[in-house]
Amino acid sequence: MHLLLIEDDAEAARFLAKGLRESGYVVDIASDGREGLFRATEGSYDLIVADRQLPHFDGLSIVAMLRRSGRHTPVLILSALGSVDDRIEGLRAGGDDYLTKPFAFGELLARIEALLRRGSQPEANTRIKVADLELDLLGRKVIRAGKPIDVTSKEFQLLEFLARRVGQVVTRTMLLEAVWDLHFDPQTNVIDVHISRLRAAIDKGFERPLLHTVRGAGYVLRDAV
Amino acid sequence: MRVSSARLALVYTALITFLTSVLLVTVYLLTRNALEREIAAVVRAEVEDLTDELRLGGVERVAATLRLRTDSWGRTGAVFLLADQEFRPVAGNLSAWPRDIDPVPASMVEFEISARERGAEVLHPVEARIERLENGYWLLVGADTSERKTVLRRFGLATLWGIGLTALCVWLLGAAFARRTARRVREYATTCETIMGGDLTQRLRVDGSNDEFDALANAVNAMLATIERQTITLRAAFDSIAHDLRTPLYRLRVRLEEAQLRRPADDAAAQDADELIGPALEELDRVQRTLATLLAIARAEAQGLTTHRDDVDLAALAANMVELYAPGMRAAGLEVTLDAPEPAHLTGNRQLLAQLVTNLLENALKYVPAGGRVWVRVRNTPEGVAFSVKDNGPGIAPDERAAALQPFVRVGDAAARATGSGLGLNLAAAVARLHGAQLTLGDNSPGLIVHCDFPTPR
Repeated sequence: MHLLLIEDDAEAARFLAKGLRESGYVVDIASDGREGLFRATEGSYDLIVADRQLPHFDGLSIVAMLRRSGRHTPVLILSALGSVDDRIEGLRAGGDDYLTKPFAFGELLARIEALLRRGSQPEANTRIKVADLELDLLGRKVIRAGKPIDVTSKEFQLLEFLARRVGQVVTRTMLLEAVWDLHFDPQTNVIDVHISRLRAAIDKGFERPLLHTVRGAGYVLRDAV
Repeated sequence: MRVSSARLALVYTALITFLTSVLLVTVYLLTRNALEREIAAVVRAEVEDLTDELRLGGVERVAATLRLRTDSWGRTGAVFLLADQEFRPVAGNLSAWPRDIDPVPASMVEFEISARERGAEVLHPVEARIERLENGYWLLVGADTSERKTVLRRFGLATLWGIGLTALCVWLLGAAFARRTARRVREYATTCETIMGGDLTQRLRVDGSNDEFDALANAVNAMLATIERQTITLRAAFDSIAHDLRTPLYRLRVRLEEAQLRRPADDAAAQDADELIGPALEELDRVQRTLATLLAIARAEAQGLTTHRDDVDLAALAANMVELYAPGMRAAGLEVTLDAPEPAHLTGNRQLLAQLVTNLLENALKYVPAGGRVWVRVRNTPEGVAFSVKDNGPGIAPDERAAALQPFVRVGDAAARATGSGLGLNLAAAVARLHGAQLTLGDNSPGLIVHCDFPTPR
């Protein structure tokens, strides 16, 4: 996968590129808006990570110009501005996701992965199967190894979000956004309690756990150790 | 305020109309009196004249004089009749003694006579004086008052019209003036609301008429310019500090994470390093959250809701938040109850309102000991939406409540003080203010009750 990172802070760009390369991505760096826009329109990238405040063209203008020229490369906008309105503005300009600095690297990695996988997985609309766990999307029912499992509607939403991203790391903020429509981080880790309840519901009493915690990043639903 | 200036206009209209009425009615009454007295005087003079004639030349002379004057009827409007003891006409311009008139000497009577004018029968009102002459004859001297009556009627009508027109003009002028004043004041109020909403670039309109409104607008605008300048300076300083802090924090975090990733999995020294890096990252999280909250407060206070507003159902939002916190609270030994029976809509920023609810729930989670209860209540009221969160925890002492809403103030015992940024209630209060509400802390005896009443715009 080929990524373009548009970031004017050289040190941050170096760290991010290094981390991304270690995670298996090919990364090009552009250090200002003009170079970023040039590379984004010339090259064929799978995803663009653009800082919002850049010399020459800012991140939002780059996205807007890309979209106008008919390119639909996913764009993740990084920003030091943190208000809700900034986020809405960023998504409205054509950005696919928005991340406020400073962020944990795991968060960035998880969101990049989510954007890249978006659309590549078939959109299940009746039934999702992960190992012996089955989600009936119409009846809102969970069955594991043939046994029905009681979950609340929010727990079902959580599980569905995870199940649609099997094998992908899902962060706490992604869950807060998707299930509770909250775009800020509460102080306490309220999500952890929900996850442990969900884990108790689907994994307790079964030999192979499906819901795993990824340290420093989030959670993943997968059928392997 | 529209009511007050309109009421003023109405009071003035009533007052001026009353004074004009008094003036015009007085003139009318004086005129009527003068006209009546004039007739009485003319009649009396005529009677004296004729009495003199009688004394000088007897009935014949009076009759002769009257005969001479008879043809003047219709020009002067004078009415004469000399009648004998049997009331038979002897001389004068009346063909008979008027019917139904009692002959009382020296009395004024009123009757009507009919006359033919241009082929039609016309009735003329007459006022007359009756005299008994020395020889037993009756003398009736009067005047046709139809002209006077016409004049008075017209004058009366003119008086009424005058009063009506004056009232109308005064009322129109007053209403126009009141409207102009009310419009100007309303315009100022609207501008002030926009400014309070965070748009400090707005100014009161100066229309160049150099009136007292312009003077007021100029003074307020000068004040606003100063406030705006200071705010911009502060905001710029704050933004650059925040930005300058964020970048090193961002790098610090990346470096710590790099160190964490790079350590070999089974090295004892690396394990030690990991034990140091983990808490360092947690501390960093706290610093970053504090910074983010400060920025959120500053932005909320500075920008207002100028950019993004939606229709928010606070009942649904509260349910969502309670749902999010309930498991965590249960794990901490708290029971949370939601009391929001019906949708409660208001216009606002959903994320900020969610932040407000979150902060209040976080506080309850932090301060209420295990076994405690938390109630979240949303109600529609005639004024808007009433929101409250109460608990049966330790509460906040009355003298500490005002301070608790200030930034970086932590109340309660040392353990509680050690956690949190001290910004939770401050941000909640800022969000409330932004939505036209005021966050108040009260006593739930025992416990804390936080009220927030959101007004719905009319």
